[in-house]
Amino acid sequence: MSEQTKYPGGAPPSPARRHPPPLEADGLTVDLGGVRVLDNVSFEAGPGCLMGVVGPNGAGKSTLFNALTGLIPLSGGSAMIHGKPISDARGSVAYVPQSEKVNWRLPLKAREVVMLGRARRMGWLRLPRRADREAVENALNQVGMWERRDSLVSELSGGQRQRVFVARALAQGADVLLLDEAFSGVDPASQEALVAALRDLRDQGRTILLSSHDVNHVAHYCDECLCLNCHVCACGAPRDVLTPDVMREMYGPYGAEPIHGSGRDGHYP
Amino acid sequence: MDIIPDIIIEAVADPLQYTFMVRALMVSALIGIACPALGAYVVSRGLGFMGDALAHAVLPGMVVAFLVGISPFFGAIPVAIASALLIGYLVSRVGVSEDTAIGILFAGLFALGLAMLTAVRGISVDLESILIGNALGASGGDVIVTLALALFVSAVMLALHKELVFASFDPVGAAVIGLPTRLLDYALLSLLAVVTVIALQAVGIVLVVSMLITPAAAAQTLVRNFTLALPLGSAIGAASAVIGLYVSYHYNLSAGPSMALTATAFFIIAAAWSGIRGRLHRIAAKRRAPAL
Repeated sequence: MSEQTKYPGGAPPSPARRHPPPLEADGLTVDLGGVRVLDNVSFEAGPGCLMGVVGPNGAGKSTLFNALTGLIPLSGGSAMIHGKPISDARGSVAYVPQSEKVNWRLPLKAREVVMLGRARRMGWLRLPRRADREAVENALNQVGMWERRDSLVSELSGGQRQRVFVARALAQGADVLLLDEAFSGVDPASQEALVAALRDLRDQGRTILLSSHDVNHVAHYCDECLCLNCHVCACGAPRDVLTPDVMREMYGPYGAEPIHGSGRDGHYP
Repeated sequence: MDIIPDIIIEAVADPLQYTFMVRALMVSALIGIACPALGAYVVSRGLGFMGDALAHAVLPGMVVAFLVGISPFFGAIPVAIASALLIGYLVSRVGVSEDTAIGILFAGLFALGLAMLTAVRGISVDLESILIGNALGASGGDVIVTLALALFVSAVMLALHKELVFASFDPVGAAVIGLPTRLLDYALLSLLAVVTVIALQAVGIVLVVSMLITPAAAAQTLVRNFTLALPLGSAIGAASAVIGLYVSYHYNLSAGPSMALTATAFFIIAAAWSGIRGRLHRIAAKRRAPAL
């Protein structure tokens, strides 16, 4: 696809760029039950980017993820993966669901969960082959969970579960990872291991978008921060965008909680 | 030479001289194999009420089949599949909760079936055999239909295994990678409808759940591994059916309740064993790591 056809009616945002960004939303608008949940959301995440989405409850974080993955229809705008609509790019996007969306009663081992990432690649009616098993082993090794491959995922800690799901995304061969409420149910000790795994993947050139209701997580861990409250309040490096003004825009006059270690003093008079 | 006492050989061989017992054993064993395989999904997805409801909802279909004079399978299966799909439709379009939708359909259709039974005179329909099953009355045709349906269900479940597991474990993730999750859900409900109907023959409307859920739950209590629990559930189901039928023969009990009770006994043993095993593990762990 040429640049011209991809951006009908206008020049591409950055004419010098040859490849479209791995993840891009342009004027993305979503209405649910007559209520505008996302309004004209535009941002892009390049390769090797760890971006965090923050915003209050009801800001549309989960809706944004559902829209990016094509689970709900858009009222306007577009969501593109490598310049293609999501329906043409399913293999390259992986989704790590919120913990409560997963049926933990179904007893699966860590390596079985990772093998699910191969389901699409294997195709219908196929059994795992050597390449699939190797992909599972590599993926589990990469997130440091190979030792726990035979453990039931339901018996792993919150952080270990998230790493298994990240491994599933790797086994799938996805280069765009979406983690909804990445740190919910993850205790502080295993947050570090999860973030280390995510940073490894970022350094390999993958694009990671995660959401958290806790601004501190995003301020600490992410390269870029998308501040969301139905519309984009700000987007950029955490220390540049998490200003008192933006915090007030997201959380209201009393919601501007202090950010620890955001890297720059003087934000909060 | 007498490794196995004669009395046991006699107890096992004696019923086999009757054709009706051989047919009953075949039908029940097939049901015991097919139901728990689907039951594994029923247990882990919390669809127990759904299975129970489908069994009740097929009554009008069975009454029509009796009236027309065809096998009850062919009356019940379309009604079961239609009910399963209608429940899915009610939940997604009308916006009632799933258990409410199931309840409405289950009570409404069962009542319709009972009303039809009382309205129809001149045709003798044995309500008791519909409610608690009539394995001993299985005809040669029933054996063939049961075999065909059990093979069909097993084939579909094997073919769709990883997709069904994915959609059951993580429906959102499955949808994101492009699996047709809604279609898979409907497929699972349709298969559930089919096995519910074939189980009716052996254990009847009221006890279908004992074949669907109890052996699968026993298996998942014993092995905490879904892929392994599927065949183990089938083994427990088949054993429950065969042992239950023998017990009913020798002690002159009704066959359906006897099979259901055997399955329940298997579950109790499995639950007790898993409790003992858990305690042993804790003791062993304490030995390995003595308190400082």
